[in-house]
Amino acid sequence: MTTETLSLPMSTSGLQSRKKRRQANLAIAGHALMIVMSLFAVFPVYWMLVSSLRAENHIFDTALWPDAASLDNYAYALSAIPIWRMLWNTLVVSAAVTFIQLLTGIAAAYGFARWRFRFDKFVYALIGLTWLVPIQVVMIPNYLLVARMGLLDSLPALILPHFASAFAIMLLTQSMRAFPKEVLEAARMDGAGSWRTLWEVIVPNLRGIIASLAILIFISTWNEYFWPLLLSRSAENTVIQIGIQMFITQEGTSWGPLMAASSLASLPILLIYVVLQRQVIQSFMKSGIR
Amino acid sequence: MANLQIANARKSYDNKQVLHGIDLHIEDGTFLVIVGPSGCGKSTLLRMIAGLEDITDGTISIDDEVVNDLEPSARGCAMVFQNYALYPHMSVEQNIGYPLKIAGVSKPERARKVAEAAALLELGDYLDRRPAQLSGGQRQRVAMGRAIVREPRLFLFDEPLSNLDAKLRVQMRIEIKRLHRRLSATSVFVTHDQVEAMTLADKLVVMNAGKVEQVGTPGEIYRAPASAFVAGFLGAPAMNFLPGKVLQQGNLHILPNTEIAVHSQELHQWTGREITIGIRPESLLLGKPSAEGIPAHVDLIEELGGSRVAYCRTDGPEIAVVMHGDLTVREGDRVSIGLLPEHLHFFEKTNGQRLGGGQASQQAQASRAMHVAFN
Ligand SMILES: Nc1ncnc2c1ncn2[C@@H]1O[C@H](COP(=O)(O)OP(=O)(O)O)[C@@H](O)[C@H]1O
Ligand SMILES: [Mg+2]
Repeated sequence: MTTETLSLPMSTSGLQSRKKRRQANLAIAGHALMIVMSLFAVFPVYWMLVSSLRAENHIFDTALWPDAASLDNYAYALSAIPIWRMLWNTLVVSAAVTFIQLLTGIAAAYGFARWRFRFDKFVYALIGLTWLVPIQVVMIPNYLLVARMGLLDSLPALILPHFASAFAIMLLTQSMRAFPKEVLEAARMDGAGSWRTLWEVIVPNLRGIIASLAILIFISTWNEYFWPLLLSRSAENTVIQIGIQMFITQEGTSWGPLMAASSLASLPILLIYVVLQRQVIQSFMKSGIR
Repeated sequence: MANLQIANARKSYDNKQVLHGIDLHIEDGTFLVIVGPSGCGKSTLLRMIAGLEDITDGTISIDDEVVNDLEPSARGCAMVFQNYALYPHMSVEQNIGYPLKIAGVSKPERARKVAEAAALLELGDYLDRRPAQLSGGQRQRVAMGRAIVREPRLFLFDEPLSNLDAKLRVQMRIEIKRLHRRLSATSVFVTHDQVEAMTLADKLVVMNAGKVEQVGTPGEIYRAPASAFVAGFLGAPAMNFLPGKVLQQGNLHILPNTEIAVHSQELHQWTGREITIGIRPESLLLGKPSAEGIPAHVDLIEELGGSRVAYCRTDGPEIAVVMHGDLTVREGDRVSIGLLPEHLHFFEKTNGQRLGGGQASQQAQASRAMHVAFN
């Protein structure tokens, strides 16, 4: 009797430790795989930084670190194009677009989530469909419109087509629909009108999703290339993505300065990633984008 | 403080009527409880009073003013929801003070009123906490605090205790009762729990399938239920229903084979007809097998601490009997179930309407004496 009860736990513990060891091995293999994959992902960024430090005649070297690292490319890039001005422009455009899209998104989503009105589902579906329309379809009409408004080669023209985003509206509508109905009713009983309920009850409780959305909008606007390319004429009135492209000319590409400018352009985004790491990851997971 | 008048209130959702003409009058300061099975329309009625649902037909008046078209906030009602419905991002203090903030009450005045309500509900130590950091009972108290600070004309409660565990539920029930004593505010309390309903109500409304079945004090309704539905819904264990037939002189034949002398005047006009006989488990007496009473054998005994319930097999339906004291009956015993005519309730067989019987509370003493005799 005694021996039985004693031997039983020992045998199970042996089994457990074997199981544990197997799990540990699996975890190690998993981590190794992820490290390799993240190396693949990080390497281009590293290569951009390293190339930006290489001298012009060594630009195609394959050494992992340049023999003589220098900031010459940065100096050249800064003198060749108004990088600071372009970064500032990009910041203004990205911030404005983020703010405006959040605003229109919150307002539209509130309408869809809270009220039934004639053709509401139809309108919602239409908004969803605009998401599927590629920029190539709308770029000519948009261009003509902006041109007639006399806004060619100006920052407002870069912001104008981005006043509302289907993605923002749909994401916010979903989260507002999921908002507890009783809390809204409590607010109504407490005397809060629709406007007040939106800003004092709903928005503060959706700040997680709103922050995530803001990050996504900001990054995608920062990285936008096509529309500014179409619209901009002068270096003073354009964004950094266009500035980078100015080092690619018919005579050839100045890879060093291009890499330097690219490094400067990605700096703010890198900063966002580092500072708001957790938020960024969450926002990608929430929106289903990877 | 206010009175509430509901006249012929109806509610339909997409042509499907769920409330079929409700009439109710609630006097100033009354604690009215609406009880009924799930889905009978209690919440719908309460939400119509609150202004959260449109009134399809009929009128609702508070203090003789028709409020059908008033916004919820203009009706002067405060509501406590089942799942508390607190603002997750606000502290307890902000939650309680929010209606005052909206009403434009100055900050110091607000702080004073919130402190007052918090003290009343013993929330003083939690004012800085968020709802997520509170227990269920505390959250419910915050919800009540938010209702109290507005000094509403009418308190509305929609099953506010159903999310709490059993012990806390009893505790909060007592607190609500105490609070009502103190504020004597007109209240409408909705629940599906008959114990909650009986203990809290000054006035009880039993609803079923979108209709009011009966209105009265808990005692009145318990003693003289207006229908078989009400009789079966209130009281635990539930009332026993036995098929019967009215014989000459108002005597009864309880199917299949028990006869009992009732001499009920009320039954005379039903002579020769089949009726339903209702009898509460606590009004029945278990005795040794005898010619009188319904022959049965004890199938199962449920121990309730203070008392025990015997579930007995008969030739007819199963009958539950509450056994008081130390009656020495065991499962499997053959017994005879003794009936006292004055404890029988009579209902029409087809529609369950009350025909009479059952008001004999003064005979309770006599039954105790009989009970001893049966032992
Ligand atoms: N928004 C609604 N749309 C359609 N039917 C509803 C709606 N709300 C409630 N009902 C129906 O009305 C009836 C009463 O519901 P309710 O008042 O919630 O019952 P209770 O609170 O008594 O459980 C139920 O049959 C329910 O299905
Ligand atoms: Mg309900």
